[in-house]
Amino acid sequence: MTELNNSFSINSEKFGKNNVINILGRNWALIFLIFMLILFSFLGKNFFTLNNFNNIVLGVSSLLLLASGEAFVIISGGIDLSIGFVMGFVCVTTAIIMRDLNAAGYSPFISILTGSLVGLLLGLIPGMVNGFLVAKLRVPPFIATLGMWGITNGLAWRLCEGFPIGFIPLQVRDIGNAYIAYFSPKKGFSFFVKPELTERKDILSLLKIIPIPILLITLILVIFAFILSRTKFGQHTYVIGGKVDAARRAGINVPLHLIKIYIISSFFAATAGVLLVFKLNMGVHTQYTSSYELFAIAAVVIGGASLTGGKGTVWGTVIGVLLIGILDNGLMMMGLPIFYRYIATGCILIIAVLIDQFFPELVYKE
Amino acid sequence: MKKFIITLLLICLGLSFIAMAGVAKQLKFAFMPGIADPFYFTMEKGAKAKAAELGVELIVGEYPKAWGPEYQVPILKALVARGDIDLLFTAPTSVEALIPVLKEISDSGIPVITVDTYIGDGDYTKPSNYNFPLAFIGTDNFLGGEVVAGQLALLLGGKGKVFLENTNPDVSSVMGRELGFRAGLKIFPDMELVGVEYCLDIQETAVAQVGAALQKNPDLAGVFGVNVFSAQGAYQAVVSAGLGGAVKIATWDATETLIEALKRKELNLILAQMPAEIGSLAVEWGFKHLTEGAEIPKKVIPGFFVFTQENVNDPEAQQYIYK
Repeated sequence: MTELNNSFSINSEKFGKNNVINILGRNWALIFLIFMLILFSFLGKNFFTLNNFNNIVLGVSSLLLLASGEAFVIISGGIDLSIGFVMGFVCVTTAIIMRDLNAAGYSPFISILTGSLVGLLLGLIPGMVNGFLVAKLRVPPFIATLGMWGITNGLAWRLCEGFPIGFIPLQVRDIGNAYIAYFSPKKGFSFFVKPELTERKDILSLLKIIPIPILLITLILVIFAFILSRTKFGQHTYVIGGKVDAARRAGINVPLHLIKIYIISSFFAATAGVLLVFKLNMGVHTQYTSSYELFAIAAVVIGGASLTGGKGTVWGTVIGVLLIGILDNGLMMMGLPIFYRYIATGCILIIAVLIDQFFPELVYKE
Repeated sequence: MKKFIITLLLICLGLSFIAMAGVAKQLKFAFMPGIADPFYFTMEKGAKAKAAELGVELIVGEYPKAWGPEYQVPILKALVARGDIDLLFTAPTSVEALIPVLKEISDSGIPVITVDTYIGDGDYTKPSNYNFPLAFIGTDNFLGGEVVAGQLALLLGGKGKVFLENTNPDVSSVMGRELGFRAGLKIFPDMELVGVEYCLDIQETAVAQVGAALQKNPDLAGVFGVNVFSAQGAYQAVVSAGLGGAVKIATWDATETLIEALKRKELNLILAQMPAEIGSLAVEWGFKHLTEGAEIPKKVIPGFFVFTQENVNDPEAQQYIYK
């Protein structure tokens, strides 16, 4: 791989023009993202504000996690269709546990902690089953995870009967909607606790710095980006996705590795489910929760991964998610109806695949 | 042996006549709900109370786990296959697919009333292949949307910017609410609808969309969330912006979670349909039709109940919460 990169850089030095195309091709998503930021800042009212960026990243926070987990699966040459409903299932289960413990008289701390931990642990089971089916029983990933898609949907639905699970400790929301710091021109800086403001213009001018969920998500992403790009586990993932036979010959325990990959994907989905409870102060699951995995797959592909495996990164995926989020928010701020925003996201996805198809050597490889 | 069999058959025949004679004394109504949810549970409660009052036996079909004819029709067919039903009232889960199914039931001599939802366009007065039901008893979504617009205007003193958070642009009920809301706002020249978004029942999306609307319109005064998920997303966005109470939020359907938010003063008004009333009316009109030959109006629209922060704890308001 390094040799390949070197040969590119030598080529690029020889032909300056190629060099420019190379950089543009490799980073088209990032460049497009920056271009959009500039464009919307001019066209959308109040787009370029800290509070709007908070709104954007919080709006795609579930997708950030789901897409990063999906990136692991796609790089390993598979696909996981169950993540949206795994998130819904964990979200509902966590909320039910919190609600029932709270109603039984346990302290909010115990209720919240137990609910979150049990939710996270339960959320790992779908990944284990998916991994076992794919790795040991050789069920195609599409089918195995589609089966799990149905199972988790049915379970979640049975649990919530299509209605939101409320009546959980309000502290959940206080945690989920807190920021690391606040700055008010009137009251100055404060940390973790929102300053009391009464005037509407003071409330609107309050600067909120880094939402707690985003801090947590960033931490998780840094750890997993490191695992993917700097450890043997990460290397093996790329090798399995690129050339599975070569991976077997090299002595990699492919089945075990794949099981771990699907568990990672489920872990991300479960974390997203628990965080959703904190964000919304309730457990929700509807049939539309399944649209999440499609946007997650789209983000992974926009971020430079290939559905045939062996390519992609966590940070590329993050750019893919942000691109979808900013495109949607920016066009909304411009006043464009939702229908056109779907079309725009679709176009970007097709462009991403075309770049991957026709200029595979330009897309960033690990 | 032959004699024995003939005697046995005669006994059975005799018994069945006795059984039928016993049944003839009491009317049997069947209720086929649309989906397992608190709205229809409440409707059943209202119907049961009225049935008990009138001495009608009410048989309730199994609640479908999901919305759609593929779930509802098999249960419905099993329900009428009992053969002893005098009247059916049901919430058809498809305006098209349920026409032939209900037509067959109606042709077999069981009068049909549709509740909450309808077949065709719901107008059973004009000539069509779907005008056979006795009546449609249910909510008028357009009218409800107008009521919400009026109530929100009342809260806002008749002026200000409002935003509409909708769910699915392809569902007639919520689109009816949107159109009614738009029409209702036209009466107030100083009220302005600054945007409409669709969250597809994903609450996280509703939070982001209302959050963006607040960024775009810092002077936003009110939001109408057309169902439980869009309303919850709306008040979540408003509360996390620190504007709880300053931005008025109106919604539809009195579920327990929404009532709780109203008590916390994070919501301002909830328009409740009257599912218990709908169930009760279906039994009452069906009974009058079968016993007195009364002519039922083709469309019966019960009113609404508007929950506000002031009346949410009133004892008489509690009956309108969906449980």
